[in-house]
Amino acid sequence: MSKGHPIELFMPPNMLKAKVGGSYSGIDTAAIMRAESAMQTLKVEFGEWCVQDVNRLSECRERFASNRNAGSRKDLLRASLDIKGQAATFEFPLVARVAASLCKLIQAIPEPERIPLMLVDAHVTAIRIIFRDNIKDISNPMALELLKELEARVTEIAGPSV
Amino acid sequence: MSGYRFDRLKVLVVDDNAHMRKLVVTILQAFGTVQIYEAADGEQAWLMMRDANPDVIVLDWVMEGMSGLEFARQVRTSPQTPNPFVPIIMLTGHTAIDHVRQARDAGVNEFLAKPVSVKALLTRLIAVIEHPRPYVRTKSYFGPCRRRRAHDEYRGPERRAPADAIAPVE
Repeated sequence: MSKGHPIELFMPPNMLKAKVGGSYSGIDTAAIMRAESAMQTLKVEFGEWCVQDVNRLSECRERFASNRNAGSRKDLLRASLDIKGQAATFEFPLVARVAASLCKLIQAIPEPERIPLMLVDAHVTAIRIIFRDNIKDISNPMALELLKELEARVTEIAGPSV
Repeated sequence: MSGYRFDRLKVLVVDDNAHMRKLVVTILQAFGTVQIYEAADGEQAWLMMRDANPDVIVLDWVMEGMSGLEFARQVRTSPQTPNPFVPIIMLTGHTAIDHVRQARDAGVNEFLAKPVSVKALLTRLIAVIEHPRPYVRTKSYFGPCRRRRAHDEYRGPERRAPADAIAPVE
């Protein structure tokens, strides 16, 4: 950075605080309870949302298997990332971890034809089974065993997570 | 809400996944926010940004077309932006350090890692209200100061530029 490009460091007026007014006096537990209650009413929809996400993942897997290219790889990754991000919120933490492992696999291999389809399938199947059997308990031994196996296989290919 | 009038806030929620948008909108509504704008992609968000001029943006990272990072950069640096200082809370499943750096370098104020929780969203909103960061303009960056700690904690040499090139402005 040359002297011809000075750094400007400044504090803009806090318009946001002026707008919301008041002052912070700790976390408002009533508001949190109100929002948690609203979340509870949404939870009846979580299952249906997950069905849609898992079906989309399966469709992307089909397209990827039949036509391996950058586009189908990208779609498969997007579907996996969506499930990774949402499944835990929708109370399927194990599904989120399997999806995270799938994302890691896809992201580690830029060339679509080099991504091992069998390992992709193992992840997609695991996601379907965990969801189908409504396994929400993160300590479910069978699901955990499956997850660890998948993560180990992906680590062999992609290396350990940073 | 901690003395806040969240009903006065205009919040833009940008996420290409309708489920996640609904989740975030539901939480915001429970906080009392009524002026909520939803966009399914960066292009739509940009139009809403210019029409509604929101006070806060909750932004997903991964979207078709314009990504969350590209949108954040546009908000900070476009000559057409209605408010380059608008706080941006990035919603992301990417928590690796290089991803955090990328978002920080795009001008994001706060992160909200998935899974989304009520308390986490409230905490980020309080952070942008109560602890706004100073802004920095350099040749290659405009946005919130990327140093999270107080300036007087840093004892090393100035890395942004030679010290005499720093020109605080009002």
